[in-house]
Amino acid sequence: MGPKGLINLEPTVLVESLHVSFAGREVLHNLSAEFHRGRLAVILGRSGSGKTTFLRTLNRLNKCFSRSATRGFVRLKLQGEWSDIYQDAMPLSELRRRVGMVFQTPHLLPASIADNLALPVKLVLGVPRRDIPARVEWALKEAHLWEEVKDRLEAPAHTLSGGQQQRLCLARLLALEPEILLLDEPTASLDFRAALKVEELLLSLKERYTIIAVSHSLSQARRLADEALIFRDGSVVQRLSREDLQAPDTLQALLEEIF
Amino acid sequence: MIKKITYLARACSWLAVLTTVGMILLFLGFLGVRGFDTINLSLFFGNTPPWEAITARLPVWHGIWPACVGTVALVLLSSFLAIPLGLASGIYLAHYAAGYWKKWFCLAVDLLAGIPSIVMGLFGFALILFLKKAVAPQANTCLLLSAGCLALLVLPYVILMTQTALEALPDELRLAGLSLGFTPWQNIVHVLLPAAGRGILSGVILAVGRAAEDTAVILLTGVVANSGLPSGILDKYEALPFHIFFLAAEARSDAELAQGFGAALILLMLTAALFMGAYYLKSTFAKTWDQKDLLI
Repeated sequence: MGPKGLINLEPTVLVESLHVSFAGREVLHNLSAEFHRGRLAVILGRSGSGKTTFLRTLNRLNKCFSRSATRGFVRLKLQGEWSDIYQDAMPLSELRRRVGMVFQTPHLLPASIADNLALPVKLVLGVPRRDIPARVEWALKEAHLWEEVKDRLEAPAHTLSGGQQQRLCLARLLALEPEILLLDEPTASLDFRAALKVEELLLSLKERYTIIAVSHSLSQARRLADEALIFRDGSVVQRLSREDLQAPDTLQALLEEIF
Repeated sequence: MIKKITYLARACSWLAVLTTVGMILLFLGFLGVRGFDTINLSLFFGNTPPWEAITARLPVWHGIWPACVGTVALVLLSSFLAIPLGLASGIYLAHYAAGYWKKWFCLAVDLLAGIPSIVMGLFGFALILFLKKAVAPQANTCLLLSAGCLALLVLPYVILMTQTALEALPDELRLAGLSLGFTPWQNIVHVLLPAAGRGILSGVILAVGRAAEDTAVILLTGVVANSGLPSGILDKYEALPFHIFFLAAEARSDAELAQGFGAALILLMLTAALFMGAYYLKSTFAKTWDQKDLLI
């Protein structure tokens, strides 16, 4: 892949001087970053460097943990309009629908495969009942899962394999018409083959969404990333382009930085 | 050595289980031997023809039918009061209360759980005396008062079990719904409550069982030995536990004592039936939840 994407791509996520703390302990310090639609960004860094907290900042999920405080600007371009999610009064449920998140382990609703998609579509989007099956099918196809589950949509979701569960979680997001996808080590709990399938899926989605993924694996970052951000102690210490990631000497430096 | 300890531990746990089961069987056997023979239509209806008694066209004098009806009415009414209140309080404590207030509310619930039932009965009695003097001279002890006091008595079971069950759910389940854009309330109703259903059900069962067997509360708040079927929730009533107590204390013949054992067996069966009803509700609930009909 050439330098495509590096020229004048307008960002969709702009973060400036972000500080996040929990119970008085600051986890992210003065962090600034930007992300673009069509360029898959991978965040690398040691455990505890604030990667997950950063992702949760973007859909305001830190709020669900006790005594979190956020300062700074987080601007997202949603439906062509910029909004600062910590200043503007965008409803939380609207924000979280547009900024979808996948977790390290599949966070399923304890219901059937179909209901895992149908329930959010119904509750959050308010899609009329008769249109739900079509949307479920569409989302499952988007997530490359339809062929595997079409005959057992009513089976409990936890009967799927780990990789399928994670793709179900992605399908569930896609059904809600998000614009930004936050992926917190989406393949951490999967074996290599299942991880590759998820990666394939992400590559096929990246043109249409802004994707920000946290990863622990350098080789995964090299397979996926159009750019990489290196986190250390709650700040971005380095930005790497795809070319940088492929170069052997940066690789060595990275290995030392991260591991 | 370790092997020996393992064997010993295993033997002890087996012994513990066997003792429990043994005691239950012994107890049921004892009740069965003493009471089973008395279970027939005349235990329920005395000399009154059953159909006339069930349709309340003729009063029942020497049977436990009015007591059965009274107990069922009492349990249903107090569950009706306690379960919604308990569920709501449990949800509040698990999801909304925080810090100082939460501590106070939890303390209050613990205190309520520690109140002996006779004290609750006294409270009801004092309440009705107060009402009689201050507000409504015609107020009297009745089914509603008993049900209210019983509801207070069993409320902590429902609250604590709901709270514990909700708090025991993994964080990821809580986050799953919220990250999809569910409002906190949608998340509770559609994800967390159904997932905590089993725990909440055990609270409900404890509450129902307690309401069915309690004698001290109703003793002071409206139960009587012989009144026939209650004409409404403001009327006096009979109840099985009190009937058993009454027969055990004042039986004038062996036959009457035997009737007490029969009534105890019936009370057990009644409670078992209520539990089964609760399980049935839970399983249909779980089924609709697991399948697509939850989209109503």
